[in-house]
Amino acid sequence: MALKEEVINLICTTLEVKEGEVKEDEKLYDSIGVDSTEVVELVVALKKQFQVPLETNDVTKFSTPLEIVETIEKKK
Amino acid sequence: MAERIAITGMGVVSPCGLKKETFWANLKRGESFVDEVTRFDASTYPSRIAGQVHELDHYSHLSSRLIKKIDVFSHMALVATEQALKDSGIDLENTDKNKVGVFMGNALGGWLFAETELRDLYLEGREGISPYMASAWFPAASQGQVTIYYGFKGYSKTIVADKASSALALWYASRTIADGKNEYVVAGGMEAPITPYALLCINSRGGLSKNNLNPSRAYKPYDLYRDGFAVGEGSGMVVLEKESHAQRRNAPIYGFIKGVGFSSDGYHYSQYRPDSSSLEYAIEDCLAQARWNKRNVHYICLDAEASEMGDYLETQAIKNVFGKQIETISMSAPKSMFGNLLGAQTALDLIATIFSMKHSTVLPTINYEMTDPNCDLDYTPNKAKERKIKKALIIARGRGGINVVLAIEKE
Repeated sequence: MALKEEVINLICTTLEVKEGEVKEDEKLYDSIGVDSTEVVELVVALKKQFQVPLETNDVTKFSTPLEIVETIEKKK
Repeated sequence: MAERIAITGMGVVSPCGLKKETFWANLKRGESFVDEVTRFDASTYPSRIAGQVHELDHYSHLSSRLIKKIDVFSHMALVATEQALKDSGIDLENTDKNKVGVFMGNALGGWLFAETELRDLYLEGREGISPYMASAWFPAASQGQVTIYYGFKGYSKTIVADKASSALALWYASRTIADGKNEYVVAGGMEAPITPYALLCINSRGGLSKNNLNPSRAYKPYDLYRDGFAVGEGSGMVVLEKESHAQRRNAPIYGFIKGVGFSSDGYHYSQYRPDSSSLEYAIEDCLAQARWNKRNVHYICLDAEASEMGDYLETQAIKNVFGKQIETISMSAPKSMFGNLLGAQTALDLIATIFSMKHSTVLPTINYEMTDPNCDLDYTPNKAKERKIKKALIIARGRGGINVVLAIEKE
Protein backbone atom coordinates (compact mmCIF):
# COMPACT_ATOMS: atom_id res chain seq x y z
CA MET A 1 0.00 0.00 0.00
CA ALA A 2 1.32 3.46 -0.89
CA LEU A 3 2.34 5.70 2.00
CA LYS A 4 -0.46 8.15 1.20
CA GLU A 5 -3.15 5.46 1.55
CA GLU A 6 -1.52 4.13 4.70
CA VAL A 7 -1.56 7.60 6.28
CA ILE A 8 -5.19 8.22 5.32
CA ASN A 9 -6.18 4.80 6.66
CA LEU A 10 -4.38 5.48 9.92
CA ILE A 11 -6.10 8.85 10.29
CA CYS A 12 -9.49 7.16 9.80
CA THR A 13 -8.89 4.30 12.21
CA THR A 14 -7.17 6.40 14.87
CA LEU A 15 -9.75 9.16 14.91
CA GLU A 16 -12.69 6.83 14.14
CA VAL A 17 -13.92 8.73 11.11
CA LYS A 18 -15.43 7.17 8.02
CA GLU A 19 -13.38 6.39 4.95
CA GLY A 20 -13.97 9.06 2.38
CA GLU A 21 -14.31 11.86 4.89
CA VAL A 22 -10.57 12.50 4.83
CA LYS A 23 -9.40 14.16 1.61
CA GLU A 24 -5.72 13.96 0.68
CA ASP A 25 -5.34 17.68 -0.08
CA GLU A 26 -7.76 19.09 2.46
CA LYS A 27 -6.75 20.38 5.91
CA LEU A 28 -7.83 17.91 8.62
CA TYR A 29 -9.65 20.70 10.39
CA ASP A 30 -11.70 21.46 7.29
CA SER A 31 -12.48 17.87 6.32
CA ILE A 32 -13.19 16.24 9.68
CA GLY A 33 -13.05 19.13 12.18
CA VAL A 34 -10.08 17.63 13.96
CA ASP A 35 -9.18 19.16 17.32
CA SER A 36 -5.81 19.66 18.97
CA THR A 37 -6.13 16.62 21.24
CA GLU A 38 -6.92 14.41 18.26
CA VAL A 39 -3.76 15.75 16.62
CA VAL A 40 -1.72 14.57 19.62
CA GLU A 41 -3.32 11.14 19.34
CA LEU A 42 -2.60 11.07 15.62
CA VAL A 43 1.07 12.03 16.04
CA VAL A 44 1.57 9.19 18.53
CA ALA A 45 -0.08 6.75 16.12
CA LEU A 46 2.00 7.98 13.16
CA LYS A 47 5.22 7.64 15.18
CA LYS A 48 4.33 4.09 16.16
CA GLN A 49 3.28 2.97 12.71
CA PHE A 50 6.04 4.59 10.65
CA GLN A 51 8.81 4.61 13.24
CA VAL A 52 9.72 8.23 12.59
CA PRO A 53 10.74 10.83 15.22
CA LEU A 54 7.77 13.16 14.79
CA GLU A 55 7.32 16.07 17.14
CA THR A 56 3.85 17.19 18.21
CA ASN A 57 4.09 20.36 16.15
CA ASP A 58 5.11 18.50 12.97
CA VAL A 59 1.41 17.85 12.42
CA THR A 60 -1.27 20.44 13.14
CA LYS A 61 -5.03 20.79 12.75
CA PHE A 62 -4.30 22.53 9.49
CA SER A 63 -2.09 19.83 7.96
CA THR A 64 -3.33 17.91 4.94
CA PRO A 65 -2.68 14.17 4.58
CA LEU A 66 -0.30 14.94 1.71
CA GLU A 67 1.69 17.28 3.95
CA ILE A 68 1.82 14.59 6.63
CA VAL A 69 3.17 12.12 4.05
CA GLU A 70 5.81 14.67 3.05
CA THR A 71 6.85 15.18 6.67
CA ILE A 72 7.14 11.42 7.25
CA GLU A 73 9.27 11.00 4.14
CA LYS A 74 11.59 13.81 5.26
CA LYS A 75 12.00 12.32 8.72
CA LYS A 76 12.66 8.78 7.56
CA MET B 1 -37.50 33.03 45.31
CA ALA B 2 -39.87 35.35 43.50
CA GLU B 3 -41.00 33.03 40.78
CA ARG B 4 -41.21 29.27 40.88
CA ILE B 5 -38.73 27.23 38.90
CA ALA B 6 -40.47 24.64 36.79
CA ILE B 7 -39.21 21.20 35.88
CA THR B 8 -40.11 20.69 32.24
CA GLY B 9 -38.05 17.75 31.05
CA MET B 10 -36.61 14.57 32.58
CA GLY B 11 -34.00 12.05 31.50
CA VAL B 12 -32.90 8.89 33.30
CA VAL B 13 -30.06 6.43 32.98
CA SER B 14 -30.44 4.09 35.94
CA PRO B 15 -29.99 0.48 37.02
CA CYS B 16 -33.76 0.05 36.74
CA GLY B 17 -34.31 1.67 33.39
CA LEU B 18 -32.86 3.92 30.75
CA LYS B 19 -36.00 5.89 30.13
CA LYS B 20 -38.12 7.69 32.64
CA GLU B 21 -41.20 5.55 31.96
CA THR B 22 -39.26 2.31 32.47
CA PHE B 23 -37.64 3.75 35.59
CA TRP B 24 -41.05 4.48 37.08
CA ALA B 25 -42.68 1.21 36.04
CA ASN B 26 -39.86 -0.76 37.66
CA LEU B 27 -39.82 1.29 40.85
CA LYS B 28 -43.54 0.86 41.31
CA ARG B 29 -43.12 -2.91 41.43
CA GLY B 30 -40.86 -2.64 44.45
CA GLU B 31 -38.15 -4.99 43.18
CA SER B 32 -34.42 -4.76 43.67
CA PHE B 33 -32.04 -3.92 40.84
CA VAL B 34 -28.95 -4.46 42.93
CA ASP B 35 -26.88 -7.40 41.79
CA GLU B 36 -23.39 -8.86 41.81
CA VAL B 37 -20.63 -6.89 40.09
CA THR B 38 -19.47 -9.07 37.19
CA ARG B 39 -17.92 -6.65 34.69
CA PHE B 40 -14.53 -7.09 36.36
CA ASP B 41 -13.14 -9.44 38.96
CA ALA B 42 -14.40 -8.01 42.23
CA SER B 43 -14.22 -11.32 44.10
CA THR B 44 -11.80 -9.97 46.72
CA TYR B 45 -13.75 -6.78 47.41
CA PRO B 46 -15.52 -6.68 50.77
CA SER B 47 -18.62 -5.31 49.00
CA ARG B 48 -19.11 -6.50 45.42
CA ILE B 49 -22.73 -5.67 44.74
CA ALA B 50 -24.18 -2.64 42.99
CA GLY B 51 -26.99 -1.17 40.95
CA GLN B 52 -25.55 -1.36 37.44
CA VAL B 53 -26.50 0.05 34.05
CA HIS B 54 -26.23 -2.76 31.54
CA GLU B 55 -27.63 -1.39 28.29
CA LEU B 56 -26.18 2.08 27.85
CA ASP B 57 -24.96 1.54 24.29
CA HIS B 58 -28.41 0.54 23.04
CA TYR B 59 -29.81 3.93 23.91
CA SER B 60 -26.92 6.06 22.75
CA HIS B 61 -26.72 7.97 19.52
CA LEU B 62 -23.20 9.17 20.21
CA SER B 63 -20.48 8.53 17.64
CA SER B 64 -17.66 6.13 18.41
CA ARG B 65 -15.34 9.10 17.74
CA LEU B 66 -16.82 10.87 20.75
CA ILE B 67 -17.31 7.84 23.00
CA LYS B 68 -13.63 6.95 22.93
CA LYS B 69 -12.77 10.44 24.24
CA ILE B 70 -15.05 10.39 27.26
CA ASP B 71 -15.58 8.39 30.41
CA VAL B 72 -18.76 6.40 30.88
CA PHE B 73 -20.04 8.97 33.40
CA SER B 74 -20.09 11.58 30.64
CA HIS B 75 -21.70 9.08 28.30
CA MET B 76 -24.49 8.57 30.84
CA ALA B 77 -24.86 12.32 31.30
CA LEU B 78 -25.12 12.88 27.56
CA VAL B 79 -27.80 10.20 27.19
CA ALA B 80 -29.85 11.52 30.14
CA THR B 81 -29.47 15.09 28.86
CA GLU B 82 -30.65 14.11 25.40
CA GLN B 83 -33.77 12.53 26.90
CA ALA B 84 -34.47 15.52 29.14
CA LEU B 85 -34.09 18.06 26.35
CA LYS B 86 -36.31 16.04 24.03
CA ASP B 87 -38.88 15.62 26.78
CA SER B 88 -38.96 19.36 27.44
CA GLY B 89 -39.68 20.15 23.80
CA ILE B 90 -37.21 23.05 23.76
CA ASP B 91 -36.66 24.46 20.30
CA LEU B 92 -32.88 24.49 20.50
CA GLU B 93 -32.51 26.01 17.04
CA ASN B 94 -34.29 29.16 18.15
CA THR B 95 -32.91 29.38 21.69
CA ASP B 96 -30.19 31.79 22.79
CA LYS B 97 -27.46 29.34 23.78
CA ASN B 98 -25.83 32.05 25.89
CA LYS B 99 -28.75 31.61 28.25
CA VAL B 100 -28.64 27.82 28.57
CA GLY B 101 -26.58 26.55 31.49
CA VAL B 102 -25.57 23.13 32.73
CA PHE B 103 -25.37 22.33 36.45
CA MET B 104 -24.27 18.87 37.47
CA GLY B 105 -23.42 16.95 40.58
CA ASN B 106 -20.70 14.33 40.72
CA ALA B 107 -18.66 12.84 43.53
CA LEU B 108 -15.92 10.75 41.97
CA GLY B 109 -15.11 11.69 38.39
CA GLY B 110 -14.48 9.26 35.54
CA TRP B 111 -12.36 6.51 36.99
CA LEU B 112 -12.77 3.87 34.31
CA PHE B 113 -10.99 6.14 31.87
CA ALA B 114 -8.45 7.30 34.44
CA GLU B 115 -7.43 3.95 35.82
CA THR B 116 -7.14 2.38 32.37
CA GLU B 117 -4.91 5.17 31.16
CA LEU B 118 -2.79 5.24 34.30
CA ARG B 119 -2.14 1.54 33.82
CA ASP B 120 -1.01 2.28 30.26
CA LEU B 121 1.19 5.11 31.51
CA TYR B 122 3.07 2.76 33.79
CA LEU B 123 3.24 -0.06 31.26
CA GLU B 124 4.04 1.92 28.10
CA GLY B 125 5.38 5.22 29.31
CA ARG B 126 4.36 8.75 28.37
CA GLU B 127 3.05 7.90 24.93
CA GLY B 128 0.93 5.05 26.18
CA ILE B 129 -1.52 7.41 27.77
CA SER B 130 -4.48 8.76 25.83
CA PRO B 131 -4.37 12.51 25.23
CA TYR B 132 -8.06 12.54 26.22
CA MET B 133 -7.19 11.54 29.76
CA ALA B 134 -6.78 15.18 30.78
CA SER B 135 -10.30 16.08 29.67
CA ALA B 136 -12.10 12.82 30.44
CA TRP B 137 -11.67 11.97 34.09
CA PHE B 138 -12.34 15.04 36.23
CA PRO B 139 -15.78 15.64 37.79
CA ALA B 140 -16.63 18.63 35.56
CA ALA B 141 -15.84 16.67 32.37
CA SER B 142 -19.49 15.70 31.84
CA GLN B 143 -20.67 19.28 32.19
CA GLY B 144 -18.06 20.26 29.60
CA GLN B 145 -19.09 17.50 27.21
CA VAL B 146 -22.76 18.45 27.41
CA THR B 147 -22.03 22.14 26.80
CA ILE B 148 -19.78 21.31 23.85
CA TYR B 149 -22.22 18.79 22.37
CA TYR B 150 -25.11 21.26 22.36
CA GLY B 151 -23.13 24.51 22.13
CA PHE B 152 -24.56 25.76 25.43
CA LYS B 153 -22.71 28.85 26.60
CA GLY B 154 -24.66 29.89 29.68
CA TYR B 155 -23.36 30.00 33.24
CA SER B 156 -22.56 26.41 34.22
CA LYS B 157 -20.95 24.54 37.09
CA THR B 158 -20.25 21.12 38.54
CA ILE B 159 -20.72 20.58 42.24
CA VAL B 160 -18.74 17.98 44.17
CA ALA B 161 -20.32 17.30 47.54
CA ASP B 162 -20.48 13.53 47.91
CA LYS B 163 -24.10 12.28 48.04
CA ALA B 164 -25.45 15.84 48.16
CA SER B 165 -23.78 16.91 44.89
CA SER B 166 -26.81 16.87 42.60
CA ALA B 167 -29.06 18.35 45.28
CA LEU B 168 -26.79 21.37 45.34
CA ALA B 169 -26.50 21.39 41.54
CA LEU B 170 -30.29 21.50 41.23
CA TRP B 171 -30.50 24.37 43.66
CA TYR B 172 -27.71 26.48 42.17
CA ALA B 173 -29.25 25.86 38.75
CA SER B 174 -32.56 27.23 40.05
CA ARG B 175 -30.80 30.31 41.39
CA THR B 176 -29.23 31.14 38.03
CA ILE B 177 -32.69 31.05 36.45
CA ALA B 178 -34.25 33.13 39.23
CA ASP B 179 -31.43 35.66 38.88
CA GLY B 180 -31.93 35.85 35.12
CA LYS B 181 -28.46 34.51 34.29
CA ASN B 182 -29.97 31.53 32.48
CA GLU B 183 -33.19 30.98 30.60
CA TYR B 184 -32.91 27.20 30.75
CA VAL B 185 -30.67 24.91 32.74
CA VAL B 186 -29.99 21.24 32.28
CA ALA B 187 -29.42 20.11 35.86
CA GLY B 188 -28.79 16.84 37.62
CA GLY B 189 -25.91 14.51 38.13
CA MET B 190 -24.02 11.47 36.92
CA GLU B 191 -21.86 8.86 38.61
CA ALA B 192 -19.99 5.80 37.38
CA PRO B 193 -18.43 4.18 40.44
CA ILE B 194 -18.56 0.55 39.30
CA THR B 195 -14.94 0.35 38.14
CA PRO B 196 -12.09 -1.60 39.75
CA TYR B 197 -10.47 1.41 41.41
CA ALA B 198 -13.57 3.46 42.22
CA LEU B 199 -15.37 0.54 43.84
CA LEU B 200 -12.25 -0.21 45.84
CA CYS B 201 -12.16 3.41 47.05
CA ILE B 202 -15.80 3.29 48.07
CA ASN B 203 -15.12 0.04 49.89
CA SER B 204 -12.27 1.73 51.77
CA ARG B 205 -14.55 4.66 52.54
CA GLY B 206 -16.87 2.26 54.31
CA GLY B 207 -20.63 2.23 54.58
CA LEU B 208 -21.35 -0.37 51.88
CA SER B 209 -23.37 -3.50 52.52
CA LYS B 210 -21.29 -6.68 52.51
CA ASN B 211 -24.25 -8.96 51.97
CA ASN B 212 -22.69 -10.29 48.76
CA LEU B 213 -24.55 -13.59 48.91
CA ASN B 214 -27.90 -11.89 48.63
CA PRO B 215 -27.48 -8.68 46.62
CA SER B 216 -31.16 -7.98 46.08
CA ARG B 217 -31.79 -8.10 49.84
CA ALA B 218 -28.64 -6.22 50.84
CA TYR B 219 -29.71 -2.55 50.90
CA LYS B 220 -32.23 -2.43 53.74
CA PRO B 221 -32.31 1.02 55.32
CA TYR B 222 -33.98 1.47 58.72
CA ASP B 223 -34.10 -2.29 59.23
CA LEU B 224 -32.57 -3.61 62.44
CA TYR B 225 -30.21 -5.85 60.45
CA ARG B 226 -29.00 -3.34 57.86
CA ASP B 227 -25.29 -3.32 57.18
CA GLY B 228 -24.79 -0.45 54.75
CA PHE B 229 -25.98 0.83 51.40
CA ALA B 230 -25.44 -0.51 47.88
CA VAL B 231 -23.77 1.86 45.47
CA GLY B 232 -25.29 2.49 42.04
CA GLU B 233 -24.37 4.10 38.74
CA GLY B 234 -26.29 6.28 36.33
CA SER B 235 -27.48 9.76 35.63
CA GLY B 236 -30.58 11.86 36.08
CA MET B 237 -31.14 15.17 34.30
CA VAL B 238 -33.97 17.66 34.35
CA VAL B 239 -34.66 20.82 32.40
CA LEU B 240 -35.45 23.86 34.52
CA GLU B 241 -36.96 27.21 33.53
CA LYS B 242 -39.19 29.89 35.03
CA GLU B 243 -42.82 28.94 35.46
CA SER B 244 -44.00 31.84 33.28
CA HIS B 245 -41.48 30.87 30.60
CA ALA B 246 -42.72 27.29 30.58
CA GLN B 247 -46.33 28.44 30.41
CA ARG B 248 -45.61 30.75 27.47
CA ARG B 249 -44.24 27.92 25.38
CA ASN B 250 -46.85 25.42 26.58
CA ALA B 251 -44.18 23.13 28.01
CA PRO B 252 -45.11 20.15 30.18
CA ILE B 253 -44.66 21.21 33.82
CA TYR B 254 -43.88 18.23 36.02
CA GLY B 255 -43.33 20.14 39.23
CA PHE B 256 -41.48 23.01 40.85
CA ILE B 257 -38.36 23.46 42.91
CA LYS B 258 -39.62 25.60 45.72
CA GLY B 259 -36.79 25.87 48.20
CA VAL B 260 -33.66 24.46 49.72
CA GLY B 261 -32.15 24.12 53.14
CA PHE B 262 -28.46 23.73 53.85
CA SER B 263 -26.26 23.01 56.79
CA SER B 264 -22.89 21.51 57.53
CA ASP B 265 -22.17 19.35 60.54
CA GLY B 266 -18.83 21.05 61.15
CA TYR B 267 -17.81 18.04 63.14
CA HIS B 268 -15.65 15.41 61.38
CA TYR B 269 -14.26 14.76 57.90
CA SER B 270 -16.15 11.51 57.48
CA GLN B 271 -18.58 11.05 60.34
CA TYR B 272 -21.85 12.74 61.10
CA ARG B 273 -22.32 14.94 64.14
CA PRO B 274 -23.75 12.47 66.65
CA ASP B 275 -26.91 14.50 67.18
CA SER B 276 -29.51 15.44 64.63
CA SER B 277 -29.34 19.23 65.06
CA SER B 278 -27.60 20.00 61.73
CA LEU B 279 -30.06 18.04 59.66
CA GLU B 280 -32.94 19.55 61.60
CA TYR B 281 -31.58 22.99 60.77
CA ALA B 282 -31.47 22.13 57.05
CA ILE B 283 -35.07 20.84 57.09
CA GLU B 284 -36.31 23.93 58.94
CA ASP B 285 -34.31 26.18 56.62
CA CYS B 286 -35.90 24.50 53.61
CA LEU B 287 -39.44 24.79 55.00
CA ALA B 288 -38.86 28.47 55.77
CA GLN B 289 -37.55 29.23 52.32
CA ALA B 290 -40.40 27.36 50.65
CA ARG B 291 -42.77 29.16 53.04
CA TRP B 292 -44.42 25.86 53.83
CA ASN B 293 -46.25 24.98 56.98
CA LYS B 294 -45.13 21.64 58.42
CA ARG B 295 -48.71 20.45 58.15
CA ASN B 296 -48.58 20.71 54.37
CA VAL B 297 -45.72 18.31 53.69
CA HIS B 298 -47.08 15.06 52.25
CA TYR B 299 -43.97 13.08 51.47
CA ILE B 300 -40.27 12.87 52.35
CA CYS B 301 -37.81 11.11 50.06
CA LEU B 302 -35.23 9.84 52.51
CA ASP B 303 -31.44 9.80 52.44
CA ALA B 304 -31.37 6.21 53.75
CA GLU B 305 -27.73 5.63 54.55
CA ALA B 306 -28.54 2.21 55.98
CA SER B 307 -26.13 2.66 58.88
CA GLU B 308 -27.12 2.58 62.51
CA MET B 309 -26.05 6.18 63.09
CA GLY B 310 -27.21 7.60 59.74
CA ASP B 311 -30.70 6.09 59.90
CA TYR B 312 -31.12 7.07 63.53
CA LEU B 313 -30.06 10.69 63.00
CA GLU B 314 -32.31 11.08 59.98
CA THR B 315 -35.25 9.56 61.85
CA GLN B 316 -34.57 11.73 64.87
CA ALA B 317 -34.29 14.93 62.82
CA ILE B 318 -37.62 14.27 61.10
CA LYS B 319 -39.30 13.49 64.42
CA ASN B 320 -37.91 16.59 66.09
CA VAL B 321 -38.89 18.91 63.23
CA PHE B 322 -42.36 17.56 62.56
CA GLY B 323 -43.44 16.37 65.99
CA LYS B 324 -46.98 14.99 65.95
CA GLN B 325 -47.41 16.03 62.32
CA ILE B 326 -45.21 13.10 61.39
CA GLU B 327 -48.25 10.84 61.38
CA THR B 328 -49.63 12.69 58.36
CA ILE B 329 -46.42 12.47 56.31
CA SER B 330 -45.44 9.53 54.15
CA MET B 331 -41.79 8.74 53.60
CA SER B 332 -39.66 6.21 51.81
CA ALA B 333 -36.32 5.47 50.19
CA PRO B 334 -36.87 4.36 46.58
CA LYS B 335 -33.09 4.16 46.21
CA SER B 336 -33.23 0.95 48.26
CA MET B 337 -34.25 -0.64 44.93
CA PHE B 338 -31.32 0.49 42.78
CA GLY B 339 -28.57 1.74 45.08
CA ASN B 340 -27.26 5.15 45.99
CA LEU B 341 -25.85 6.90 42.94
CA LEU B 342 -23.74 9.24 45.10
CA GLY B 343 -23.33 12.52 43.20
CA ALA B 344 -26.27 11.70 40.92
CA GLN B 345 -28.63 10.45 43.61
CA THR B 346 -30.79 13.49 44.31
CA ALA B 347 -31.50 13.91 40.61
CA LEU B 348 -33.02 10.41 40.57
CA ASP B 349 -34.80 11.07 43.87
CA LEU B 350 -36.31 14.15 42.26
CA ILE B 351 -37.53 12.28 39.19
CA ALA B 352 -38.94 9.44 41.33
CA THR B 353 -40.70 12.01 43.55
CA ILE B 354 -42.20 13.79 40.55
CA PHE B 355 -43.61 10.48 39.30
CA SER B 356 -44.91 9.77 42.79
CA MET B 357 -46.75 13.09 42.68
CA LYS B 358 -48.11 12.46 39.22
CA HIS B 359 -49.39 8.98 40.01
CA SER B 360 -50.35 9.61 43.66
CA THR B 361 -48.11 6.75 44.71
CA VAL B 362 -45.61 6.50 47.54
CA LEU B 363 -42.78 4.24 46.44
CA PRO B 364 -41.61 1.67 48.97
CA THR B 365 -38.48 1.18 51.02
CA ILE B 366 -37.68 -2.41 50.15
CA ASN B 367 -36.06 -5.20 52.17
CA TYR B 368 -37.59 -3.89 55.38
CA GLU B 369 -38.22 -6.79 57.76
CA MET B 370 -37.26 -6.08 61.34
CA THR B 371 -38.05 -2.87 63.20
CA ASP B 372 -35.15 -1.06 64.82
CA PRO B 373 -36.43 0.50 68.07
CA ASN B 374 -34.40 3.62 67.25
CA CYS B 375 -35.95 3.94 63.80
CA ASP B 376 -39.64 3.70 64.46
CA LEU B 377 -41.26 5.70 61.66
CA ASP B 378 -43.39 4.35 58.85
CA TYR B 379 -40.88 4.13 56.00
CA THR B 380 -43.44 2.59 53.59
CA PRO B 381 -42.03 -0.92 53.87
CA ASN B 382 -41.80 -3.14 50.80
CA LYS B 383 -44.94 -2.13 48.96
CA ALA B 384 -45.98 1.07 47.20
CA LYS B 385 -49.10 2.74 48.52
CA GLU B 386 -51.60 5.21 47.14
CA ARG B 387 -51.46 8.75 48.43
CA LYS B 388 -51.92 12.21 46.96
CA ILE B 389 -48.66 14.13 47.13
CA LYS B 390 -48.50 17.82 46.40
CA LYS B 391 -45.56 18.89 48.51
CA ALA B 392 -42.44 16.83 49.12
CA LEU B 393 -39.02 17.13 50.68
CA ILE B 394 -35.92 15.34 49.45
CA ILE B 395 -33.11 14.77 51.95
CA ALA B 396 -29.51 14.32 50.83
CA ARG B 397 -26.56 13.94 53.17
CA GLY B 398 -22.97 14.03 52.02
CA ARG B 399 -20.10 12.45 53.86
CA GLY B 400 -18.90 14.35 56.86
CA GLY B 401 -22.22 16.10 57.25
CA ILE B 402 -23.23 18.08 54.16
CA ASN B 403 -26.98 18.39 54.65
CA VAL B 404 -29.21 19.50 51.80
CA VAL B 405 -33.01 19.40 51.72
CA LEU B 406 -35.02 20.29 48.62
CA ALA B 407 -38.68 21.32 48.57
CA ILE B 408 -40.62 20.14 45.53
CA GLU B 409 -44.24 20.88 44.74
CA LYS B 410 -46.61 19.56 42.16
CA GLU B 411 -48.73 22.58 41.31
